[in-house]
Amino acid sequence: MPMAYAAVLTWPNTKTRRLLPMSDNKTANLSQLIERVAATQDRHAFMLLFGYFGPRIKAFMKRSGADDAFAEELAQETMLTVWRKAQTFDSSRANASTWIFTIARNLRIDGLRREKLHANAQSQLEVMEEDVERPDQIYNVIERANHLRTALEQLSPEQLTLVRLSYFEDKPHPEIARTLNIPLGTVKSRLRRTVMMLREILEDLR
Amino acid sequence: MTVKHHPDIATLSAFAFGTLDKGRSFVVAAHVHKCKRCAALVRRFEEAGGVLLEDLEPEALSPASGDIILGRVLSADEEVSAPIEVGEAKPPAELQIRDVLSNYQDGPWRWIGPGVYVRPLSDAPRGEARLFLLKAAPGTSLPEHSHSGTELTLVLQGAFSHSAGLFEAGDLEEADDTVEHQPVVEDGAVCICLVAMDGQLKLSGFFGRLMQPFVRI
Repeated sequence: MPMAYAAVLTWPNTKTRRLLPMSDNKTANLSQLIERVAATQDRHAFMLLFGYFGPRIKAFMKRSGADDAFAEELAQETMLTVWRKAQTFDSSRANASTWIFTIARNLRIDGLRREKLHANAQSQLEVMEEDVERPDQIYNVIERANHLRTALEQLSPEQLTLVRLSYFEDKPHPEIARTLNIPLGTVKSRLRRTVMMLREILEDLR
Repeated sequence: MTVKHHPDIATLSAFAFGTLDKGRSFVVAAHVHKCKRCAALVRRFEEAGGVLLEDLEPEALSPASGDIILGRVLSADEEVSAPIEVGEAKPPAELQIRDVLSNYQDGPWRWIGPGVYVRPLSDAPRGEARLFLLKAAPGTSLPEHSHSGTELTLVLQGAFSHSAGLFEAGDLEEADDTVEHQPVVEDGAVCICLVAMDGQLKLSGFFGRLMQPFVRI
């Protein structure tokens, strides 16, 4: 399979100022790859997913405090879970990155905190998702991913950094204060304002 | 039943991003389970998490990683062909939360005051919220109190009210050290709550101070 692995290097990997432009094609393709893994245990499709998400999951784990080797191990675990649970992925309800993020998040909690709890909570959420959106309410997931991306652009670069550091990378407030060189109280008040705004943005998407 | 009281948005987003501690996650998960509004919002935060994940600067994996994952995938296939259900990898974990929520009346309750009982659920690591169930008889007036830390209270059964309103099954109250309240359990049914609390309960008033030594929550 080395050829398949090499193929992922051709995947678009452009860096922009803040958020990467997301084409409909890419979102659709990533979902299709997971569906191919589910339907036919397609290893080629899986290695494309691995090549795209593996390095990002590793980055996510490192930013959450894992060392290089452990971050790599957690990336492997996440992708192995993707392989095993591909059949539970439903592209009409979630896009590929949301689904893989929830898997990585649960493994981060298990791995870095040695706590299983949130994963339990998550399986509860998965169980009840049926109730949340009836089939006739299913919206276009791809379009929503793009809307979300545009919506997040409404946050200022500083607000986006705050969300990343606090919620995404789980950095304690004092560390954020040092990183951004602002007082601790300011971190708390700005974070609060940012999350309120994030909520409004997200609710507008409903 | 309509859920009227929800977790603070900061608490809900921390839950969705996986940065909330164990005790609070448990309470929020139980609320989200009953609250479509919060479940939908958690989904939105998770979508935001997906976007942030994709936009991370990728960290190069080791050269051997492709071969390693392929090897693991191949052995995972062998497991799948075994006659064991591996599709749902987490039933024991999933059962746990259900057990807590459905069997809470079975366990030993500890008396802490007139008409009030608690049952601890877990040993929290230092600095994290402790989790316990609280049961109070109909009409009980709990002592006026505040907290040195924060408290998340989810009503599982019955109802209580205080200055912030009426809290019924599914409602979640979030209180911090700025809140001082005196809950009264509504008539009719025993009220059972799932509580995550850090810091200490501080009882106010003469009666409260008398009781304080006996209250070890």
